[in-house]
Amino acid sequence: MKGRIYKFTGLALVLYSLVYGLLTSIPDLPILEQSIRNLFYHVSMWFAMVAMMGGSFGYAISFLSKEDLHKDHRSVALAQTGMLFATLGLATGMIWAKYTWGAWWTNDPKLNGSAVTMLIYLAYFVLRNAMTDGRKRARISAVYNIFAFIMMIVFIGILPRMTDSLHPGNGGNPGFNSYDLDNRLRLVFYPAVIGWILVGTWIASLRYRLRKLES
Amino acid sequence: MSKIRPLITRFFQQELRNSNALFSLGLYLLGITYLIYLLGGNNAADSTWNTLLWVVVFFGTVSQASRSFDFESGDYFFYFQTLIGPGPTIIAKLVFNATYMSVLSFLTWGLFSVFYGNTVFSPLLFAAGLLLGCMGFSVVLTLTNGIAQRTNGNATLSTVLAIPLLFPILKLTSALNVQAMVGVPFIDVLDLLGALAALDIAIGLLAYLLFPYLWQD
Repeated sequence: MKGRIYKFTGLALVLYSLVYGLLTSIPDLPILEQSIRNLFYHVSMWFAMVAMMGGSFGYAISFLSKEDLHKDHRSVALAQTGMLFATLGLATGMIWAKYTWGAWWTNDPKLNGSAVTMLIYLAYFVLRNAMTDGRKRARISAVYNIFAFIMMIVFIGILPRMTDSLHPGNGGNPGFNSYDLDNRLRLVFYPAVIGWILVGTWIASLRYRLRKLES
Repeated sequence: MSKIRPLITRFFQQELRNSNALFSLGLYLLGITYLIYLLGGNNAADSTWNTLLWVVVFFGTVSQASRSFDFESGDYFFYFQTLIGPGPTIIAKLVFNATYMSVLSFLTWGLFSVFYGNTVFSPLLFAAGLLLGCMGFSVVLTLTNGIAQRTNGNATLSTVLAIPLLFPILKLTSALNVQAMVGVPFIDVLDLLGALAALDIAIGLLAYLLFPYLWQD
């Protein structure tokens, strides 16, 4: 029962944000208009992705200190789930960009950040596939994982603050202050983020158990 | 410290003796710079000039660094592992690679100046950008080559691992260098310089902490 509570909470929050996100009233902003609802579906994906990658990073550190292969399995499962969220975030973002900016892709610090993040983690999976020996593979990929996570934080967290961007919420801060000051949006956005993180944890735990059975 | 200095000297001697690799790198620089000249790079705008310079430096450093841990094949690895240990080895390697890459990038800058003219407004700032960039390159490429070497010397793997990790450094340095070419007040690029230096130090420390884990068997 204990393990079920977070799963059902996550599902309920996601369902709530999916439905209520379409129904709720929104601030009347030029250009963004109705597409501001993408805040619930697109931005929450990236929050969930960073949370998953952060978990993967944490398990990589704990593997290096404890040499417990279960930690490695958890680390990979979380990275894979994070990759799923990144793909979804990229897809929702590209559709939004096509209708708001008129192009699928622009040279924007945030878009570059997400592209590089995905490349980094794809390289991580390539590295894992290049080795077969369990313990050595776990250790080497943990080293890469830790290094990669730090670089990712630099690229998506620090660099966008130093350059200008078209992306909503920018002009110094890559967060979401400028339009999220509206409480109606917060009421859906925060539950969406928490819900997706919980669902992501659930997916990752399933993948972890699958890996454990396979090995 | 007493271990690091002779190690660095040793790396340089080894590199100088290996004249084949040295000449092929020089030929690459000369060849690619002249190729760009032939294809009309001599009337490039500032940002294109800078981009071309970084692309040339990028591939030069990648190919230079890919030989970082060649010497470790066989008994040599155990020699280093037991006698010197991972800490001094990584520091010596980082210093060696950073120095080598800086020389390489300044050479490229020189060649570019000869062929396409030097339009850099503040050379000192430009040089600082090159140096800081090469330090970052050295950290990322040394670590990824260490990783690739441990997966039984898969040479393409190190490039695959390094390229996305180099993007943040490349982005910062080329931004800094464009500013140096245009010529802006020093105060305006201070945060860029600071960010780049902080990034270099942070990843250098990280590489130093992580490298010992690569060396266990």
